[in-house]
Amino acid sequence: MSSDAVKKRKPKVIRNEEGTPETKRGRAEGEQSVEMEERRRQCSVHFITLKKLNRLAHMRLKKGRDQTHEAKQRVDVLHLQLQNLLYEVMHLQKEINKCLEFKSQHEEIELVSEEEFFQEAPAEISRPHVTRDDHHQLTLARLDWELEQRKRLAEQYKMSLARKEKIHKAIEQKREYLSSLQPGLQNIMQASLPVQECLSMPFEQMQKQAEVARHLPPPLYVLLVQAAAYGQACDKTLSASISGDVDEAKALSRPPEDSQDDESDSDAEEEQQNTKRRRATVGVQLDDKRKEMLRRHPLSLCVDLKCKDGSVLHLFFYYLMNLNILTVKTKVSTTTDLSGAVSAGELLNSESLLNCLYASDHGQETPNPTNRYQFDKVGITTFADYVSDLGHPYVWVQKLGGLQFSSDGAQVCVLMGSALSASHMERTMKLLQGRLQARLALHKQFSSLEHSIIPVSGECQHLFPAKVVSGLTLVPVEQELGFVQHVLKAGLLRETDLFFMAVVERGTARLLAAVVVNPRYPEVMPLFSLSLHWKGERSGRTEDNLRAMESEVNVFRAELQGPRPGFQLLTNQIQRLCVCLDVYLEMESQVCDGSEGPKEFPREKMCLRTARGPSRLKPFKYNHPQGFFSHR
Amino acid sequence: MGPVELLHMSVFSQSFSPCGRFLAAGNNYGEIAVFSLSAALSPDASEGSQKPILNFTAHDGPVFTLLSTDTHLLSAGNGEISAWSWAELIKKSTKAAWTRKPSYETSLEIPEINAMIINPKDNSLIVGGGDNNIHIMDMETGIFKSVLKGHTDYIHCLCFKEREGEILSGGEDGAVRIWDSRTNRPVHCIEVFRYEECARPQFGKWISCLATDSDWMLCGGGPSLSLWHLRSMSPTSVFPLPGCQREAVFHQDLIMSVGEGPYVSHCLHGGTVKAQIPCTPSSLNTLALNLKNTEHRVMTVGGSSHQIDVFTNFSYRAFSLSF
Repeated sequence: MSSDAVKKRKPKVIRNEEGTPETKRGRAEGEQSVEMEERRRQCSVHFITLKKLNRLAHMRLKKGRDQTHEAKQRVDVLHLQLQNLLYEVMHLQKEINKCLEFKSQHEEIELVSEEEFFQEAPAEISRPHVTRDDHHQLTLARLDWELEQRKRLAEQYKMSLARKEKIHKAIEQKREYLSSLQPGLQNIMQASLPVQECLSMPFEQMQKQAEVARHLPPPLYVLLVQAAAYGQACDKTLSASISGDVDEAKALSRPPEDSQDDESDSDAEEEQQNTKRRRATVGVQLDDKRKEMLRRHPLSLCVDLKCKDGSVLHLFFYYLMNLNILTVKTKVSTTTDLSGAVSAGELLNSESLLNCLYASDHGQETPNPTNRYQFDKVGITTFADYVSDLGHPYVWVQKLGGLQFSSDGAQVCVLMGSALSASHMERTMKLLQGRLQARLALHKQFSSLEHSIIPVSGECQHLFPAKVVSGLTLVPVEQELGFVQHVLKAGLLRETDLFFMAVVERGTARLLAAVVVNPRYPEVMPLFSLSLHWKGERSGRTEDNLRAMESEVNVFRAELQGPRPGFQLLTNQIQRLCVCLDVYLEMESQVCDGSEGPKEFPREKMCLRTARGPSRLKPFKYNHPQGFFSHR
Repeated sequence: MGPVELLHMSVFSQSFSPCGRFLAAGNNYGEIAVFSLSAALSPDASEGSQKPILNFTAHDGPVFTLLSTDTHLLSAGNGEISAWSWAELIKKSTKAAWTRKPSYETSLEIPEINAMIINPKDNSLIVGGGDNNIHIMDMETGIFKSVLKGHTDYIHCLCFKEREGEILSGGEDGAVRIWDSRTNRPVHCIEVFRYEECARPQFGKWISCLATDSDWMLCGGGPSLSLWHLRSMSPTSVFPLPGCQREAVFHQDLIMSVGEGPYVSHCLHGGTVKAQIPCTPSSLNTLALNLKNTEHRVMTVGGSSHQIDVFTNFSYRAFSLSF
């Protein structure tokens, strides 16, 4: 084919060659045919050589390809082998790593240290001659030893367990025995009660009290302990006891899980009920909340203070749980009947008996500042409304219960709890007894004053002259008297003070004295304000002599107090008032020019001068035992 | 001093210091309190500046009269006269410069001293009190050189007429006696209660206040306060004041007097009462005018109260100092 192609080409070329030189045809035709033959021959030779070359080339190519293919094959085989080997190497390495990382269980077992092992283990296990060199053997030996030890200990453990069981049983038996003993002991105690009473050793009672005391809230408990301790140590007449419902108290301190279950049940019930029933009004709800806030602990403490004359002051202490304050109510019981003094009804009134035991301790407001916020929530404006019901929250009551509120901020008290209670106990008890005795003494004095007898005790007779003519009547008073205004202005009058009016009369003269008695009598002197109705009305404000009489009665405490504890103060003051009135009336008649008839009050008192000083004061000071009057 | 004692305190006497910046006051408990007027009158005065800068017990009995000389404050207690240096008092030292007692005849009761005045001519102190006599003491030597006897009851007040050198004394017996200071002899005796215009028998006859201004004399007490012309020895005007007057002074054209009743009375020479200025104490014992110092020209009154009223303008009460 190719030769054909070559042949075709050649003729083309020839044709072309022939074509062009058309002019030359004639001459070159002969030459051309030889040349053409030559050229044809050459061409064919060339063709043949070309073919041969082509063949050769093909053959060479093929050979080359074969060789390459073979080499490739060889390389592939080798490559495969290499990969296999590599894979195997990797596998082996992994295995090696695995082996290396292998932690045998035996390593987790804590073995004794080698030195210990060699010391303790018997020779057949430890085999030192082998194990010292061979680590593997050593480990094996140690494991063996470990195993043996553990077996031994397991044995011991089993034995101990068995022993423990036995002992348990023995304990159980003994316990049963003891519990069977309990009722027997109770019987004995019951039987011994009469014996205790005979011998006056109330152990049973004290035990019962201690049992109940466990359910007391902490402040009442502190109070009980301190009061009992004080009673034992200092004042045998003091007694403390607990009253109230113990079961309720126990209910209050029940563990919360039980009550929570109960609550959830009861809540569910309540909800069902509520959907059927109308909800209570807001007012009733608020009321309930208030009642809840002011709830008292079911247990209360009763402390009895006895005085020498047999009268008893009963103090009932209550604990308000939500407000965390203590309150107190009082009662007085006396051996003699106390009726008969109309004006003195206020004196032993349980509401006001303990007012101002310490200065300015009125007991109308709660001393706990947090209560303010609690009250706001339920709409209580003042605690004073509930005081008559719940008792008075005096500050000294809180202190006795160990409750300290930082209300004033002035004094920082370091003591808390029992120490606080103990530090105040003695003083408070003494004040309480003093208060009761003072009030009882006042009461007695009042009942005799109402009968116009001034009971001046023997020790104080020396303060007064033998003859006093003015007579007294005592009247309970209404407030708002004109001549008391100056005392009000001086700030010496308080809400808690008691008011009385004494009327001293002699002849046509009438002296009205308004008496202000502070609840802390006799520590604080009663104040007298005078108004005289005799030939006109004069008062301590308009007349210097009446003012001098007031000062004579109000100022000289040391003279008028009498023997300690000073219960004679008021009667002495009244007696002195009568004496001063006598002096005034008698001297007054002297001073004026006696142009009208006989004098109403003849002069009976002895004195050196009737007037002295720029204000011409009369002699009101009585000198004993000379018995004459002089000026201060 | 508790509140009850304060309630029953009475101020009996006052005296201004020579410089006029301090006021001393004496009360019935025998205490003398010194107040700083400059502090109380200053624009930034507070509650504390109305309290005394010094308060001490000077005598046993009440301090009925105080008197200031150029350097000292003289105070009188029960039968004794003490002198305190003003300079020391301002420095708060309470040591008396001297204490002297006039000689008294009776020893049963020590008489009080109600009035003291100074005779500038011969520098002597004239003292009158409860023993019905007037004692004259020489200030330099301290010796009581003479005693004027004549009153039959105790002496309330004393007064001195500089021009004639005469001492006037008023007493409980209702007589005003005039004595010559050089010869120590009585010159006149006026029994005020005998004159119908002045007499008030419902009160009594005692004379408790005296004041003179050249020929004029004021006297009052039980009888009404009246203005007398001394040359004719007769009362020219009688003042219709309801209470008994305890102290009266002449000031410019006015007569100011205090006594029973919580007010200061301003009266004119003619006999009319021009004004009655109310004040705190319910009755007044003493009135003092501070004329020595023009800055602190005040009038102070004290009486049955622990407060002393201060009048900066004499027509109304400005504030009160209190013990």
